[in-house]
Amino acid sequence: MEQVKIARCLTLLFLIAIGVSLSGCAKTTVVILPDPQGKVGKLSITNEAGSVDIDQAGEATTVRGMQSLPSKPKILPEDQITAKYGEVLANLPEQPVHFILYFKSESTTLTPESAQKIPEVLETISQRKSQSISVVGHADTAGDPQYNFRLSKRRADAVGAILSEKGVENQYIKITSHGEENPLIETADNVNEPRNRRVEVVVR
Amino acid sequence: MKFLVMLLLTCWMCLMAIPCFAEQESIGFINNVDGEVTIISGENSVRAVANMKIVPGDLIRTGAGSSVGLIMVDDTVLSLGPKSQIEIEEFLFDPAERDLSFVARLIKGTFSFITGQIAKLAPQKVKLETPDATLAVRGTKFVVEID
Repeated sequence: MEQVKIARCLTLLFLIAIGVSLSGCAKTTVVILPDPQGKVGKLSITNEAGSVDIDQAGEATTVRGMQSLPSKPKILPEDQITAKYGEVLANLPEQPVHFILYFKSESTTLTPESAQKIPEVLETISQRKSQSISVVGHADTAGDPQYNFRLSKRRADAVGAILSEKGVENQYIKITSHGEENPLIETADNVNEPRNRRVEVVVR
Repeated sequence: MKFLVMLLLTCWMCLMAIPCFAEQESIGFINNVDGEVTIISGENSVRAVANMKIVPGDLIRTGAGSSVGLIMVDDTVLSLGPKSQIEIEEFLFDPAERDLSFVARLIKGTFSFITGQIAKLAPQKVKLETPDATLAVRGTKFVVEID
């Protein structure tokens, strides 16, 4: 009788020990998903044991500790992703909206088409109740980078002034320039690319 | 006299401290909050509310049944589920100077991300560290769960 009790006790202790060691062993699960444009990028999951890539919609890998290799990627069914991660995904903020504005050659005056976009910019700002608006000047790679930087900054200033005139609070507007380092269309150096000579308004 | 010296010293120390706070440029903000969410910025800890600014080094923590959504200046959006913790170790977004980096430590909990322009312009500069591995990201949407 006594022996049975001891055996039971030991079994219980053993189970508790397993439970504790399992819960103490952390793990990381990573699932890749299509972005809002439907594109799936690529994630590399790397630790001391090696590296695994995932690049298919719904593909997942699990890693248990720095010394163990990430598991072989496996595509999770959509309902499982929704059940486990639906809530955190629902709390993901809407991505900022970009407006691209163009100017008359060598000037800080908007083209007529771009001037017509201003009401839509204002509408988005009020709709999102945005308190974070960036006005970013961009240049192409033709000519002197410093001149390009300054012209694109002056154009951004001009757009900032329009927004502020239309009632957007100055403290919410941040004006910068990315010069020629953040092109819309990739080009070699010294390439005349009108589509890159722009101001982007980012409404967050 | 002693009192006056102390007072002047205190004022001077306060003035010295101010630029330290002002210097830190905001790299993002709290977009949506539900429940108990804390931002730990150096030695200060504040309860998160919508539109609150985030600076490099901030640690964001959610309580049970709570969640938060953030928008970063490079268009990255992220959310934290309940009982989650993230530290933004490094965040640089100045394409004109080619200063780009996004390094964060995912300590525990559930996260979702859509990466932004840093991941597009300099994917090799995006690094997310979890207790089990490091994630390198090439422009995408994904979920991370640490348990």
